[in-house]
Amino acid sequence: MSEVEDLPAADGPRPLVAVLGGGPFGLALTKAAARTGDVVLVSRRDPGLQLDNVRVTQDLAALTDVELIFMAVPSRYAEAALRDAGRHLDGRHLLVHVSRGLLDDELRTMSHLLRTVTPCRRVGSLAGPISVDVLTNASPGAGVVGSEFPEVVEAVRGALGGPTLRIYDTNDLRGVELAAALTGLLLFTIGFAQRIGFGPATIAAVTTRGVAEVSRIGTALGARSDTFSGLACFGDLLAAVAGSDRPELELGRALAEGATPKAALLRAGGNIEGIEVARRVSTFGTRRKLKTPLADVISKMVGGELSASQAVRSLMGRDVGSE
Amino acid sequence: MRAQVSNCPPRGMLQVMSQPAPKSSRIRDLLTKPIRLPQWFASRRSATDPRVFSFNDERDSVVNEVSARVVAQCLGPRLEFLINDSAHREIERLEKQKDDEAREWLGFWRTVVRKLARMTETERHEVLRQIVEPMARDVAGNFDPRVYSFAQKVIPGLIAGVMNPKQLMVDAASVRKLGAERLVSLTGHLDEMHALAQIGTVIVVPTHSSNLDSLAIGESLARENLPPVVYGAGKNLFTNPIISFFMHNLGAYRIDRRIKSQIYKQVLKTYSCVMIERGYHSLFFPGGTRSRSGMLEGRLKLGLAGTAVEAYARNAIRAKSRGEAPRPIFFVPVTINYALVLEAESLVEDYLKEKGQARYIIEDDEFSQLDRWLAFFRRLTSYGAACVLRYGPAIDPFGNRVDAQGRSLAPDGRVIDPVSYVTHRGEPVLDPARDAAYTRDLGRELVEHYRRETVIMTTQLVAHVLFRKLVRETPGVDLFGRVRRRGEITWDHAEYVTCYRETLGRLRALQEQGEVHLNSYLETDSAERSLERALEAWDGYHTRTMARVADGQIVIEDPALLLYYQNRLVPFAERIAGEGDERAAIEIAALAGGQ
Repeated sequence: MSEVEDLPAADGPRPLVAVLGGGPFGLALTKAAARTGDVVLVSRRDPGLQLDNVRVTQDLAALTDVELIFMAVPSRYAEAALRDAGRHLDGRHLLVHVSRGLLDDELRTMSHLLRTVTPCRRVGSLAGPISVDVLTNASPGAGVVGSEFPEVVEAVRGALGGPTLRIYDTNDLRGVELAAALTGLLLFTIGFAQRIGFGPATIAAVTTRGVAEVSRIGTALGARSDTFSGLACFGDLLAAVAGSDRPELELGRALAEGATPKAALLRAGGNIEGIEVARRVSTFGTRRKLKTPLADVISKMVGGELSASQAVRSLMGRDVGSE
Repeated sequence: MRAQVSNCPPRGMLQVMSQPAPKSSRIRDLLTKPIRLPQWFASRRSATDPRVFSFNDERDSVVNEVSARVVAQCLGPRLEFLINDSAHREIERLEKQKDDEAREWLGFWRTVVRKLARMTETERHEVLRQIVEPMARDVAGNFDPRVYSFAQKVIPGLIAGVMNPKQLMVDAASVRKLGAERLVSLTGHLDEMHALAQIGTVIVVPTHSSNLDSLAIGESLARENLPPVVYGAGKNLFTNPIISFFMHNLGAYRIDRRIKSQIYKQVLKTYSCVMIERGYHSLFFPGGTRSRSGMLEGRLKLGLAGTAVEAYARNAIRAKSRGEAPRPIFFVPVTINYALVLEAESLVEDYLKEKGQARYIIEDDEFSQLDRWLAFFRRLTSYGAACVLRYGPAIDPFGNRVDAQGRSLAPDGRVIDPVSYVTHRGEPVLDPARDAAYTRDLGRELVEHYRRETVIMTTQLVAHVLFRKLVRETPGVDLFGRVRRRGEITWDHAEYVTCYRETLGRLRALQEQGEVHLNSYLETDSAERSLERALEAWDGYHTRTMARVADGQIVIEDPALLLYYQNRLVPFAERIAGEGDERAAIEIAALAGGQ
């Protein structure tokens, strides 16, 4: 029986990259990836991109020849989109999502859907303070890719990385996904605290305890706690404090101003996945006997069960423990 | 990764160190070395014989390939560290052992430590070879078709005789139907297994509750005329010459869990990989050790089974160079479901004592006590099919379902090429990091399969209903507090019957959704009969009374053993709980958190 060898990766132009989903973030990813090579954007609408190396199509069969695919479809449409796309994929494809949502009350993450609905196994998640501005205008920034497969990380670096964008990596995929999803809760809290008139010290206290809470939930689900002090969670939070325009912040502000939950959601706009996350985390915490005070309060506020002032009293009235 | 065997200096040329020459002792050899039958009357192989029948012919070639590959993998900047690691760990082990092996090898290892820093690369290379080759030889198994044929015919009868001598006389009239069929019932995707064993390499991966599991798997394969499998067995099981004779000649390779060195672990992995690459059907218990809690495995490391991905990648690379498709590899998850577990008392004691820090080897459990075996088998026979083996649907090493032709299927039912998973830019390549990630994925997939392929037994459901009552009646008490509540909780028999029926109803609904399976007794027995059946089984075997009925009341006597049997239902606890039991069910479901 002859011995086999590792074959070196072939050098040359980077393989074709695809972006699935023509929303604002999908378009930003397309523009960023177009700086490093050819891109296929699979979108129902024609966004009117005038870039030579970008092909826009509705035909999912275009994914067949691609190596790396960014999945930028909102969570609520993800299953259907992946089911359709999955018919053109196999084990060669590297699939990376940018979702900030959770699938169900078990707090399963998008990679579960990627693995079960498509035949792809080499999957990853891109998160952190990567905004549309960073991607579109090549402003300096950084993000993190969570994947157990080093080749996924390399492919994302090859597609997006460059002099203005640093792509860090971790093999804690679950941690990155949970951090991205749960940070939405904290952003909501920051927006709420800002508008209700709390000072920086109060916001810092709520946010820091919030990180402890989401980290506790993450570790209960098998994630590493240090992932929550990285770009996927802490990085996103600092961006929010520094003035990013995430819709969760606006939702928190609207509720603090006394808007009804429905009106607040309307005002914040966007696909606010973090709100559904609050209810799911609260349910999960109850079942697993985890302390999730922030998620409990947010869930009740968005559901109309608690007013802003009641929410504050509820949070501040809790027993104090060790950090 | 090319093996650089040709660079290895001829043996004896360097005289760096002399390998220890074992002292000859016929009595010691008989007790410690595997016995093989002479080849004088060995029958000729036929083309239809299973692959493993010709293993002995290529045994030396396997050992050489394993040695060469491990030596090549260890070379490089880490070589000094690896040799040093082996030497110190072996010295530590052998100094404790103080036996013949220690007398033979201690000197060698001490010399290695003394001279290692001054050795040239070539000398280190030679020392590495001297370490690896004996390890590979010690691990390698053996297969004798004559022993296999003998075991296939006689062992079920022996078991039957031990269980019930009177029945043996009756059964003797019908050859090959001796006892074991009353003990072990087979179900699931067995037809698929027959087809796949002809097409590719099958890796059987069962749940692990008892040391009897390998016997149950071996018996099921033989009964179904499926080809035998090779498997790793702890060296401690080879200390009995009779068991050692059978195990060694039936494809078992030896795993010495006392050896902690990284080089030895590499030898084991490489041996397993080479065997899978060469197409030997294999058996692994991916949970590693018996489930202490009685729960289904919730997290799998896979261990040696994980080498299947590398084996597949290596075969894919070779096949590509020949313009062929590689021989496929199939994982077949099997759940082994016991109404009564031989070692339940020791296992649950260990679970409660260590809570997650399970000792790897329990030397003094029921498996080593003849009277407990007799009591166990007698009770099993009167119970009927007290062990159900369910063969699940096969998957490829990447977690995809395969069809009867062995083709991998995408979730939409499309046929896909499994080589695509080990391909990088059009070429199949080796990538240890990638393969480790696939292996972790496979572990998660198998856990899901185990849950769906579980067959719930009467004793487990009765234990669950009773334990849930205990939890409900002891709010705020932790697990250790609860298992001490012996004889304190009583339950009206009529209320129990209602609760049991409702729980069974919900379990049936889960069965209809394909989420779990129920043993046939649960389909036919009344609630009252189920309770009787469970109590009879437990009373006739376990040394402690688990529950009893007195004056129309059920008294919970041994919560620890009830915990053990009910733990199989932990994944379903919340979905089979009725009104008022929700909180108790949540607490029971949370038991899985520490797994």
